[in-house]
Amino acid sequence: MKTIHEIHNAFDLGKSTPLELTQQFFNQIKASHHNAFITLCEARALNQAQILTDDLKLKYNGKVPRTEKPLYGIPLGIKDVLTMDGVRTTCASKMLENYIPPYTATAVIKLENAGAISLGKLNMDEFAMGSSNENSAFGPVIHPTHSDRVPGGSSGGSGTAVAANLCVAALGTDTGGSIRLPASFCGIVGMKPTYGRISRYGQIAFASSLDQIGPMTKTVEDAALLCEVMSGVDDKDSTTADVKVDSWFKTARDTKVENVKGLRVGVPQEYFIDGIDAEVKNAIEGMIQKLKAEGAEIIPVTLPHTQYAVATYYVIAVSEASSNLSRYDGVRFGVRPPEAMQARTLVDFYKKVRVNFGSEVKRRIILGTFALSSGYYDAYYRKAGQVRRLMRTDFENAFQKVDVMVSPVSPSTAFKLGEKSKDPLKMYLTDIFTIPASMAGLPAMSVPVAKDHQGLSIGMHLIAPRFNENVLIKAARIVELLAGDSK
Amino acid sequence: MIEVNAALIQKVADLSRLELSEQEIQDYVKSIGDILKHVEQLNSINTDGIEPMNYGVDGGLRLREDIVEVLQPKQDGKPRILESAPEVLHDGFKVPQMIG
Repeated sequence: MKTIHEIHNAFDLGKSTPLELTQQFFNQIKASHHNAFITLCEARALNQAQILTDDLKLKYNGKVPRTEKPLYGIPLGIKDVLTMDGVRTTCASKMLENYIPPYTATAVIKLENAGAISLGKLNMDEFAMGSSNENSAFGPVIHPTHSDRVPGGSSGGSGTAVAANLCVAALGTDTGGSIRLPASFCGIVGMKPTYGRISRYGQIAFASSLDQIGPMTKTVEDAALLCEVMSGVDDKDSTTADVKVDSWFKTARDTKVENVKGLRVGVPQEYFIDGIDAEVKNAIEGMIQKLKAEGAEIIPVTLPHTQYAVATYYVIAVSEASSNLSRYDGVRFGVRPPEAMQARTLVDFYKKVRVNFGSEVKRRIILGTFALSSGYYDAYYRKAGQVRRLMRTDFENAFQKVDVMVSPVSPSTAFKLGEKSKDPLKMYLTDIFTIPASMAGLPAMSVPVAKDHQGLSIGMHLIAPRFNENVLIKAARIVELLAGDSK
Repeated sequence: MIEVNAALIQKVADLSRLELSEQEIQDYVKSIGDILKHVEQLNSINTDGIEPMNYGVDGGLRLREDIVEVLQPKQDGKPRILESAPEVLHDGFKVPQMIG
């Protein structure tokens, strides 16, 4: 059983139940060596699974209520950046090692209301800061198939858990590529919807003008379904947009390869630069040729400010982070070490509390505080905001000519554990192709299309105009169909 | 171009309420220096008259009515917000006494 559709068919036929399936995933999680989960919600999940199993038989006559509860009995993993009432939520940080929130993230509530079962909280880079999942206070996540490799970050636990079949699907969050990169490295589908589509209420903030929640799944159809369930206005997040949510699930299900005819596919020239791994480049160009052969119109486009993406992002994201992370003061929640109790001044108290941040988090707080500080604000934060607008204008211009854009997700496949962790700038450049869509707030996806000679997955990156998830899902489904077994 | 040295890192760490080891300061001098050098390339772009994009949404935020919603207390009547507090006294957050 692989997809939500297949699982529901198995429930209908009495071949499995939500309880059996949930138990099976817990067995797989416990037998795995990937360090994908930080906290398991075993009692909570099994209790929920029991109720769903009983209801299936007694209330629904053995037939899954797909319309009413489209995720009925589907076990999911939740990235540990999202709060769940009564469940420890750490953000993979020592700072929140003991934090038990009194409320649940809207996205999780919506999934559970649709029948999903939350198995537990997934490992990640601390406060979602990282591209390799090596920055977790709970140890690195291991790549699903290559134990010497990283799964990508920051939603590395989500990527590995889905690919290693430790859950049906997972939630990730994406600030500069944190869903799409691990999806690409782990060989699964990752989707970051338009900024404003999904409420971030209950998502522990990293960079608020960029953060988005999204699904990580085995198929485009499952990603479309989860995204559809989670989207919509929420009074608890004033950035959510009142824009109609289409039936993306139906789009994914009904799309055929022949629907590619006439689709205008943009290829940004700046995304095929020197330094891309030759196998990655060949795989993406190969898929572009397939799209063309099936009737897509391939149109070169230009996004002239792409080369400045990493520089712009690492000013804006860290500035917002330095502000968001100022709330960790050891007063209302989080760990307060004994040394803090000896502090003589408030400043000293804060410093003793904040030793619990890991080194990458501290680096970003310092960088962000610097960029916002008196005398440097205009040269760094303001300048980066201006370049960000230029990057968005690049996309607006390009989308005058095309329906969707395609590129590699990253210049390379999954790299080795430790390979880039000593060189932050080198690590940051991993995200060069995913950052621009984040900066412009655009919906984007990663879909596996091939494997390199070592068997490591290569993902194609698709970007669509704001709030046009429908065309994104259509194009992603076509790519998935064309990739066939080569992925 | 800004020179990133130990004094600058220490100053910004103080502003950030962070205590750093000697090793961390040395590490950040190098890595933050590298990053800011990379950021310098933004200076080559003409941004005269461009309004900075500081938000993810245009046209302001959607506001809701200002209505108080009470989070249900636990069965023992204690406010749930206190559950993760490092220290609690009389249904409030307790902090160490300090001068300064």
